[in-house]
Amino acid sequence: MEQYKILGRIGEGAHGIVSKAKHIESGEVVALKKVPLRKLEDGIPNTALREIKALQEIEENENIVKLRDVFPHGTGFVLVFDFMLSDLSEIIRNTERPLTEGQIKSYMLMLLKGVTFMHENNIMHRDLKPANLLISSTGHLKIADFGLARVFQNTGNRLYSHQVATRWYRAPELLYGARKYDEGVDLWAVGCIFGEMLNNSPLFPGENDIDQLCCVLRVLGTPNEKSWPGMGELPDYKKISFPETPPIPFETLLPDASTNALDLLKRSLLYPSAQRIPAKEALLHLYFFMEPLPAHHSELPIPQRGVGKRIRRANHPHDYSIDTPLEESLIDPDLIAPHVHLFS
Amino acid sequence: MFSSSTQLKFWTFSGVTELNRLRAEANETYVSEYGKNETIYYLTAEDETKVRRHYEYVIKDFCTRFQPPMPRSVLGTALVFFKRIYLHNSIMDYHPRDIQHTCVYLACKVEEFNVSLQQFVAQLKGDREAAMDVILSQELLLMRLLHFHLTVHNPFRPLEGLFIDLKTRCEDIDNVERLRPGAEEFLDKALHTDVPLIFSPSQIALAGILASGKNAGVSLDNYVANKLLVSGGQENLLKTVEHIKRIKYMVKNQDPLIREDVKILERRLDACRNPENNPNSETFKRKMEEYLDDEDEKKAKKRQKWEEVRLCFVHSSVYIQIFLSFSRRNQ
Repeated sequence: MEQYKILGRIGEGAHGIVSKAKHIESGEVVALKKVPLRKLEDGIPNTALREIKALQEIEENENIVKLRDVFPHGTGFVLVFDFMLSDLSEIIRNTERPLTEGQIKSYMLMLLKGVTFMHENNIMHRDLKPANLLISSTGHLKIADFGLARVFQNTGNRLYSHQVATRWYRAPELLYGARKYDEGVDLWAVGCIFGEMLNNSPLFPGENDIDQLCCVLRVLGTPNEKSWPGMGELPDYKKISFPETPPIPFETLLPDASTNALDLLKRSLLYPSAQRIPAKEALLHLYFFMEPLPAHHSELPIPQRGVGKRIRRANHPHDYSIDTPLEESLIDPDLIAPHVHLFS
Repeated sequence: MFSSSTQLKFWTFSGVTELNRLRAEANETYVSEYGKNETIYYLTAEDETKVRRHYEYVIKDFCTRFQPPMPRSVLGTALVFFKRIYLHNSIMDYHPRDIQHTCVYLACKVEEFNVSLQQFVAQLKGDREAAMDVILSQELLLMRLLHFHLTVHNPFRPLEGLFIDLKTRCEDIDNVERLRPGAEEFLDKALHTDVPLIFSPSQIALAGILASGKNAGVSLDNYVANKLLVSGGQENLLKTVEHIKRIKYMVKNQDPLIREDVKILERRLDACRNPENNPNSETFKRKMEEYLDDEDEKKAKKRQKWEEVRLCFVHSSVYIQIFLSFSRRNQ
């Protein structure tokens, strides 16, 4: 801990406080996530162990937040991450600048690249949502918060908890209490995030778990054995029934979105998990190769934390103003003449 | 993936020579720091190895008797944790009796075998409350001793992979499954050697299946040379074959453990162990309490400091006011 100088508090994570700090030796700014261990019945929480396990074992990837170090501190320990300026939820909420199609494409590409990498390494994130997609000072998106991540095995019949993922991004099989599921839960969440960017607000903002199902059913229509084979076997299927409703076409829901965008969205938000388009395939979707092309990261919004920064920038003495006469911003050649040596 | 794992990067060593050098260093470090008392016998590195190996079997016993039955990987991970810890630390510093259960408990979590601490200690003999305290107080220490590297790649999954591969690509071998008991037994034995600290899990699994095949009179040479390792080239094949030989040798030629020896050494260990790390000692309890109070104290001190600063301000402003009122009067 002596190696770091705390600069301020960033927020509260899934486990413990996150603060901004400076690594004294290198001067690099990092995020410190403190995991306290006081009075825990079962000792070190699984979430913390999973985060370490998932992030320690994978190679570096541009679109996944990097775990730089872990060290003990007091009665707990500290995880050291790259410091990130903001997250996607903040960017979507910033209504002054709604995202352009090129920007949405760029975010989707980065998200899908990260998800592809995770899934290739047999990691399900299980809690993808805009708030967990951090944005760096160069505009890059990185997936974070692996507190619910699980290493999965496609061969086993393992049962998992269905109490995962933040409600709005929770896949329908989880809402029906499925204990056996796969990386498709991440692909559903990717679809929800995509929809949220196109829509400028969450696609399925359920107020509770039942309402969440209602939201999904209202849009996708009531599922049946034909549209969702095997749904009758889900644990909570018989506990709740909904009136038959036809689906609302995404074209009606998102009238401004392009045909290609809607096609990709439709292929992510499907009831049967196995039919959802895998991240790797989605990267090759026509959507990303049509005009407008994905924006370069320099064209993405770089949010500033705190307003102070923006004001300071406005008063910057070296800013160019179109109102000042040109001569004033130029250097008088006579002034520098004595200092210039002519080479002959 | 094993290729990007912390196991390959930090916990795979060149051979027994290197491992024994590390263990000797850990022993020397302890003795040079705590071995001042001439009336006490301090364990040598060889003594330590005997005690450590004994406890590996104790761990195995505990795990195989555990209810509900544990997946093999929990035992594998627990034993590897245990081995890693005593590469850089002497058993006199951290007594294996205290470390063993914490190793298994942490391995349960890491392998996602979910049992509560209550459930876990219910399987232990003796004072369960005390056992809980020991585990809770040592979990973080254990993580630190493991350098926070938690994922262990065991040979059990590669073994399954090899079985599937054999079944699909070697139709000339009938009833591949009959090789399973022998192969699994080999892996169990390998867990009690230094093999997991030297070789990759897939090589250990392959050695297991080959050893089992040899016992059953099934030759897998053709499969290994012409199917499994054909893409790696001749040089790679020879290297793997050499590794397999070393693994088989190490598994088959383990020194026998003499129970009486271990008993004597354990008695000696009680005398030369580090009391600071004995969860039952007064020194340890005091240290733990100080540790726990430390953070509260820091916060309290900070608060107190601010209070002092505030009072200082209040006092000085009172003085200033008095001074000002006096000076005004004088004018």
